[in-house]
Amino acid sequence: MKNSFDEKILEEAYDWVKANQKVVLATVIQTWGSSPRPTGSRMIVNENGDFSGSVSGGCVESAVVRECIGIIKDNKPFKKIEFKVSNESAWEVGLACGGEIAVYLEQVN
Amino acid sequence: MQLKVLQEIINKKKNKSEFAIVTNLETSSSEIFELNKPISKNFEKYKDQINYFYKNKKNGVIEDTNIFVETYIRPIKVIIVGAVHIAQYLINYAKSLNFEIAVIDPRGYFATEQRFPGMKILNKWPDEAFKEIKTNSNTALIALTHDPKIDDPALQHALKKKFYYIGALGSKKTHANRCQRLTEAGFSNDEINLINGPIGIKLGGKSAPEIALSIIAQLVAETYKK
Repeated sequence: MKNSFDEKILEEAYDWVKANQKVVLATVIQTWGSSPRPTGSRMIVNENGDFSGSVSGGCVESAVVRECIGIIKDNKPFKKIEFKVSNESAWEVGLACGGEIAVYLEQVN
Repeated sequence: MQLKVLQEIINKKKNKSEFAIVTNLETSSSEIFELNKPISKNFEKYKDQINYFYKNKKNGVIEDTNIFVETYIRPIKVIIVGAVHIAQYLINYAKSLNFEIAVIDPRGYFATEQRFPGMKILNKWPDEAFKEIKTNSNTALIALTHDPKIDDPALQHALKKKFYYIGALGSKKTHANRCQRLTEAGFSNDEINLINGPIGIKLGGKSAPEIALSIIAQLVAETYKK
């Protein structure tokens, strides 16, 4: 049996939309190596940068928020982004754990 | 994702249905897939692969395509027998883990709205209550009264229906007596050994929230063993 420990993020997304916020769903669609969260993990972001849920252990959330605000501003319906292993000597966003993830961003419309 | 689809997903989750969301990553259009129900032309040619993901409860992108499949399974049902102090804490943990919960207690002074606000409690003996609750191997039982009159019929029902988790509160001595009664009722040792008694993993705590935590931890661990 797989877990059914759902986090009710989609329910929250719906409430945000009903409160007249623009909402982007960010979903982990692929993982390679020791990625922190499994495929299907999700966070939601609104135009103000408020977010809920997660796609990693806190490694890439700030970049995801930036990208989500970006697609709302540019009025793009969706975007796919990938995160790879971070270079520890550089001040950059990446997965400290050494995994790779692909995150799919899509606006609720 | 269209708002209409989002709303449909939420309704299906509320109704405890099993389904999958399929998304075309090139257009971000999504729809709901259900077993034995027709799927739109856009996804028809991927039907077999979607079925494979669905049956294996997998999430992921279908190989060499731009189709993402995300499956939703029915929440696990947890039946708590005994609207006692520990149950009040158990319910909070169980809710945050998205278990579907039912509480049974024939003793009216325990099963009150004031003690369990907003919670549906079956104020009946287990034999009667189980007539109203659908149970199967995706159900768990937590017996908390340590009163044989109340716990035993519930444990017998859970063993017969092959619940995937059965736990009973009580000391080693209480549990030994319980096993003896179940043997006399015709259950085999293998069946009786399926009962987690004394219930919970060893944390050392004795307070109600600590015991509730040790029970819920054992329940989650058993869920992943299946």
